[in-house]
Amino acid sequence: MKVNFKTLGLCFTAAILLAACSEPPEIAAKAAKRPDVAPYMGANNGFMTKNWTPGNQASWTESIDKRNQSQNEYSRVK
Amino acid sequence: MARMKFICDTERCIECNGCVTACKNDNEVPWGVNRRRVVTVNDGIIGQEKSVSVACMHCSDAPCMAVCPVDCFYRTDEGVVLHDKDICIGCGYCSFACPFGAPQFLSKGAFGSRSKMDKCTFCSGGPEENGSVAEFEKYGRNRLAEGKLPLCAEMCSTKALIGGDSDIISGIFNNRVATREKNGHYAGSKAFGWTTAYGGPDAPAPTPTPAAKIPGAQ
Repeated sequence: MKVNFKTLGLCFTAAILLAACSEPPEIAAKAAKRPDVAPYMGANNGFMTKNWTPGNQASWTESIDKRNQSQNEYSRVK
Repeated sequence: MARMKFICDTERCIECNGCVTACKNDNEVPWGVNRRRVVTVNDGIIGQEKSVSVACMHCSDAPCMAVCPVDCFYRTDEGVVLHDKDICIGCGYCSFACPFGAPQFLSKGAFGSRSKMDKCTFCSGGPEENGSVAEFEKYGRNRLAEGKLPLCAEMCSTKALIGGDSDIISGIFNNRVATREKNGHYAGSKAFGWTTAYGGPDAPAPTPTPAAKIPGAQ
């Protein structure tokens, strides 16, 4: 069989050039939107405040609301 | 559920830039990126010089989310607008759409190439594990998950910048405005603030321009 080197070369070049248009599955999976963990679940570090229970949304909300009032001088100076 | 918002009281802001410094330091924001900045108008005109601290306002109907071609934005249950840096392609559409100039980019290359977008996260990190090193390196501190509020607001020396649940902070601001009005020394309900920024009963939403009057619109 006679090998057509010109056609073979063109095919090889096209394969190299078109490789840039593909997206490996691991990259496609990485680009998918990930769910975020709610803040009331707590943080994995040593900077957490002590007056609420991680995982308990009601206690987190109560603690944050209380902390919010620390920005209010009218309630702080009373 | 709380809906987190910021509000800056222009009658109190003294342009100290403490909020800017706190944000940069706590989140280790790189040189050239400012998640928060202080804007001053009427510079030098006595009595009319006003400053306001601006960052991402975590809009309820965020234009950055609407224009993002890769859909990297999301809104948390607390109303905070966040984005996933692993998806962001740094195209810059969000910075054109944002009326507050919140999205920031680090210029990296000789031909204007940009980094991935960076913006205020209301100190609530990103999609990485709460409080993890990976989250800190990409998005900064996650103070909400630590039971705290954004540092810029919490350390503001004059309490001009307040942040947190919108119902609570609007109550704090309303109380101030009422006190000012009662004392009669400062502008009361007409002062720039919550009603100006978010609308009120005496300020109905503007009527949208009909498409027929916009050149080129369909």
